[in-house]
Amino acid sequence: MAELVKLFVNGQEVEVESGKNLIDALRVVGIEIPHFCYHPALGADGNCRMCLVGIEDGRPPLVPACKTPVQEGMKVLLDAEHIKKIQRDVLEFELINHPVDCPVCDQAGECALQDYYMNYSLDDSRMQVAQVTKGKRMDFGCGVVHDQERCVLCGRCVRFTRQITKTGELGIVNRTDAARVSIFPGKPLNNRYALNIVDICPVGAMTSSDFRFRQRVWFLKKDPGICHGCSKGCAIYIDHHREKYKDDVIYRYRARTNLNVNGYFICDDGRLSYAGENENRQTSALADGAVIGFDEGIELVRERLDRARKPLMLISPDCSLEQMWAVQRIATLYGAELSGYSDNYIIDGDGDEYLINDDKAANRRGLELLEIDFSRAQFLTGLQHTDLLVNFNNDLFFGGVDEELKSLLDKTQSIAVCSHQLQVYESASIVLPTASYSEYGGTIINEDNVLQRFEKALFKNEDPKDVLEITRLLGGAINDAPHAWPGIKQSVACLADIDPQAIPAEGIKLQNSEDTNVGA
Amino acid sequence: MSDRSELLSTGEPFAFDAERDAEFERLIVRYPIRESMIMPALWMAQEQQGWISTEAIEYIAERIGTFPAKVFELATFYTMYQLKPAGQYHICVCRTLSCWLRDKQAIVDYLAEEIGIRPGQISEDGRFSLEEVECLGHCGTAPVVQVNGEFHEEMDLEKFKALLATLE
Repeated sequence: MAELVKLFVNGQEVEVESGKNLIDALRVVGIEIPHFCYHPALGADGNCRMCLVGIEDGRPPLVPACKTPVQEGMKVLLDAEHIKKIQRDVLEFELINHPVDCPVCDQAGECALQDYYMNYSLDDSRMQVAQVTKGKRMDFGCGVVHDQERCVLCGRCVRFTRQITKTGELGIVNRTDAARVSIFPGKPLNNRYALNIVDICPVGAMTSSDFRFRQRVWFLKKDPGICHGCSKGCAIYIDHHREKYKDDVIYRYRARTNLNVNGYFICDDGRLSYAGENENRQTSALADGAVIGFDEGIELVRERLDRARKPLMLISPDCSLEQMWAVQRIATLYGAELSGYSDNYIIDGDGDEYLINDDKAANRRGLELLEIDFSRAQFLTGLQHTDLLVNFNNDLFFGGVDEELKSLLDKTQSIAVCSHQLQVYESASIVLPTASYSEYGGTIINEDNVLQRFEKALFKNEDPKDVLEITRLLGGAINDAPHAWPGIKQSVACLADIDPQAIPAEGIKLQNSEDTNVGA
Repeated sequence: MSDRSELLSTGEPFAFDAERDAEFERLIVRYPIRESMIMPALWMAQEQQGWISTEAIEYIAERIGTFPAKVFELATFYTMYQLKPAGQYHICVCRTLSCWLRDKQAIVDYLAEEIGIRPGQISEDGRFSLEEVECLGHCGTAPVVQVNGEFHEEMDLEKFKALLATLE
């Protein structure tokens, strides 16, 4: 925790962290300073002039808050008449050529221009000349659609491509009222983080072709979650909505700030992976291809497991720590071998130095900590000798069909507990539907050893049972995620001191990552 | 001002000629930040080609080691850079405050009526092109008109007509 400084805002004393600028420091204590161009990841640019405040210490009457660090005893003026006037004036400037097409704009409801107008201006337009018209619906590439007329020229998008992705596709061309954001002719956005531009654009100038016109943002329920697209475990918001007479579906993911993991951004692959949560889902239990009741399915699985001489269980490296623990327990219960084999989740060379990892498994560290073997050799041997495979949502064909495994799977009696309809589960004689990661809560550990917790975000009309719940129905002793923790703490040394209820939003960086697991 | 972001292409790769190539190498070492060389390089391309094409912008970006979008920004910001072939007489009329107040519009309107060109356009016979530009720094003697870089100050419609007659 940084040092605290005392300062005065409109005469009222507040205590804030030192080393921050006024916008960031005061936001923590609930005081908003309006701004367009400043973004904590991109630094202070000072071009929008919306954050001008007064500091009563003899400096010029107006200073930009984004470039003003907090100081002990500082007297900040936010509500003086001359400051309110400058805010109204800046907004009037911004709105001169703005189309005010909020009813058809995707940003409406989460738009800084709209919010600030309502909070700080409410003036009528005085313009009697024709507005400057510019480009609409411009395809900037990577699913980013630009509307030059809605733009306030804050330059966040331009700075993002120069500072963060270092690809520099965007620039502000022309000058005066003809100025606009543009790509260089024939060189559209071409990076794997481009859709963050839609997030950081404070207005409706940058929209996502994937999300455009699909849902009004005020209908969306915004729950925190963790992306399961790779072993980075980026913090996200899961924006979902249950329309009347329909089911709860996800409309988009957005980056959630977690300075321990992903900072302010997420990759486009992860952002668009929400679609996988909605589509191609396994929703009913099957026995030899015929739909059966879920309870009936559970009974069948129990019978088969009881009869099996040498059962083999396979768990997905995307499962939560609690689910892994619960599966490990029922594997012991049924005398089954357990594997977390998932080499196919690793796509060599796909990762980069930033937020994309080669390993597409969200919780491989969990397998390691619980000492669940994930070697190919052991899994192959197990598969050759087993008379019953129970696959807990592990997509063995993730990176493409593995012919060697496929021929073995075709010969083996298997049960699939799966969230999605995938080729790998086609050979299963019994299929049980299960929840995917937006539909249960738990903890996962990313490649950098950060433990994060996430809660159940979606509540479907027919709520699928998660892997842990299914282990309970199969006779396991773990009732729910918290119930797994006493056992986990006992067997994994580096988790011994963790209180699962008290994991902060930014997660916990686990210490002593190497060779600390004892017992199990 | 008019939108200058519609770049034109020559369809052929651009490169500095030997003389400008040497000049580039002589100048680039002066700048601790290589991107400071963008503006001199744009001048050189304009001298060589008469105007600055898409290919010239890409060449400069590549040569300096920066993004084409950054060179694009500067080329479109400064009206002294020609982004399309200019007429034999390139007329720039200042449109910033003093010149606007002192009726630069009369000159712009006259050109539209007499020669049929609006800002950003070139006459059919290729003799005249017109650009409205931002402040030329001669506000005390507004309105200001530039013809092929030469300043003509304290213009009014009559003086401008006389000036135009000398160009015929």
